[in-house]
Amino acid sequence: MVVGWKESFKLIGIVIVCACAVMVCTFFLNYYLDASALRDTVDAESFPLYEAQILTAKIVSLISGGCLSLIAALLVVFYVKLYVDAHARQLGVLKAIGYSDMRIAAGFWVFGLAAFIGCMAGFGGGFALMPLIYEKMSEGLFDTPISFHAELLFGLVFAPAVFFGALAIVCARLKMRVSAMTLLRGEDGDARISARAADKDRPFLTQLRRATLMSKKSLMFFIGFGAFCYSTMLQMALTMDEYASAVMGIIIFLIGAVLSVTCLLLAVTVLARANRKTVAVMRAYGYTFWECGRAVFGGYTVPALVGYGLGTVYEYGLMRFMLDIIFRDVSYEVPAYTFQTVDFFCVLASFLIFYGIVLVLFTHRLGKTSVRAFVLE
Amino acid sequence: MITANCIRKSYGTQGAETVVLKNVSLEIKDGEFVAILGASGSGKSTLLSILSGLEKADGGSVVCDGEELSAFDERSLTDFRRRKMGFVFQQYFLLPHLTVEQNIKMGAALGGGNVREILSALGLSEKRKKLPRQLSGGEQQRVSIARALAKQPKILFLDEPTGALDEETGRSVLNYLAERQREIGFTVVMVTHNRNIADMADRVFEMGDRTIAKVFHNPKPKNAYEIGW
Repeated sequence: MVVGWKESFKLIGIVIVCACAVMVCTFFLNYYLDASALRDTVDAESFPLYEAQILTAKIVSLISGGCLSLIAALLVVFYVKLYVDAHARQLGVLKAIGYSDMRIAAGFWVFGLAAFIGCMAGFGGGFALMPLIYEKMSEGLFDTPISFHAELLFGLVFAPAVFFGALAIVCARLKMRVSAMTLLRGEDGDARISARAADKDRPFLTQLRRATLMSKKSLMFFIGFGAFCYSTMLQMALTMDEYASAVMGIIIFLIGAVLSVTCLLLAVTVLARANRKTVAVMRAYGYTFWECGRAVFGGYTVPALVGYGLGTVYEYGLMRFMLDIIFRDVSYEVPAYTFQTVDFFCVLASFLIFYGIVLVLFTHRLGKTSVRAFVLE
Repeated sequence: MITANCIRKSYGTQGAETVVLKNVSLEIKDGEFVAILGASGSGKSTLLSILSGLEKADGGSVVCDGEELSAFDERSLTDFRRRKMGFVFQQYFLLPHLTVEQNIKMGAALGGGNVREILSALGLSEKRKKLPRQLSGGEQQRVSIARALAKQPKILFLDEPTGALDEETGRSVLNYLAERQREIGFTVVMVTHNRNIADMADRVFEMGDRTIAKVFHNPKPKNAYEIGW
């Protein structure tokens, strides 16, 4: 077997993102289906709220579920690329002794298992939280009984697992399109440099920081996305108490925290692993581990801050959209939404502290790289 | 000067220990070219890593340029390597995402060597914008030597520098290295399993039974084109 069963358990990022996506979609889509069936029974007084909640369920599941599914798909592509890069020599040997590209790529179906585990966990979690969500969504104005929809189980658990398994196979097949020799040499296809960048006379550590950043562009996205989730969901969670309920706020907070921490830790772990040899050589030459850490991680601070900024804009836009458009016709008064400056700075401060701690911990870990193990054996 | 006294090193846990070095003592003078010769597994790379401060010995002492390395913590060892040492590895270990020039800058940033001059001296000027994977093995090893020399080290440690090179390339790399050593006068400590290459050194420490078994003085070291291969 090309990819072992155990590999699927290492894909914790896919598991967590799938679980979050499916959990959000499960309770909102289930609510949407259950509440849609009650249209004729809702009284005129409750109807504007009913309409608004149905629209909310639809939009939240589409936006959150859609975005998270896209992220999960990108994670699958990312993990396949990482796996092929990390096991290039073994895969090259298989190819050299006559295994076809498709036969090797077919082994990547186990990546779908990670999606299945995550989707199943999310579906179960969604159902567990459902009574709470139904109660808050209906505000006691109309009673919505919980029903089980088999089509949701299929659409949110089995279909994504099959889709992600197939996606992994297709990605692996595309990654295997190089010669066996290229795989055996373990050449890093990302190692490119523009003539302009090569000409610039910058200090060595600045050049290394830029080269590291450009060699792992996909990590820019994941670090930026982690910061985006942190910013959006934690700021939204803080305002939820006023506009929805504390429980809703806690749910959004937990999903945001898990998602952003997963993305950031995943990206930083991959970055640290990919640069162990570079750090080993730098350490042998006498560079301090702070210099190594700045060279490896320093370039990603800008994408993180950009992600954070975009997350703030997105959160503000989404809240204004929800309150100004979706809830404009409800009979009860909805408080006006303004930019929450205090929340913004509190969440930003907590993000900077968290991001700083992660970088310091990983820099320390990098500093402990055994120089001898890499360069003398 | 490097003085090692009764160095001991073993790996593994207690009860399942593998002794790699036992009571190794040696002395290397400033500006000397020494070779540490030995078969695979004889402990020569471990000795190199201890002499260069990449690793600590379990016992004994290493005094390098008047400073006791065995008493240093990790930070002091890093600082010491930064100030005094250069390295050339068998597998080159160039930074894959940096050009030839930028790789050499890695050493120059710490020692102040002139990158353009070194590039020109090593015949690498035309390759300065190339990435390591676009170079042959010999060219990569020349870049690795250039990187070490750009640091202007007091002591240069080489671990099987020609181990991955063909004869012609290996000779030219060694020739360049020996010329620079004579010209600048830095100390060279080279690990090799090739007795012929060791003939280039002023002195040869031959490893055997996990210690230095023999020491040869070489009154007339050969140049890279006189040695056998």
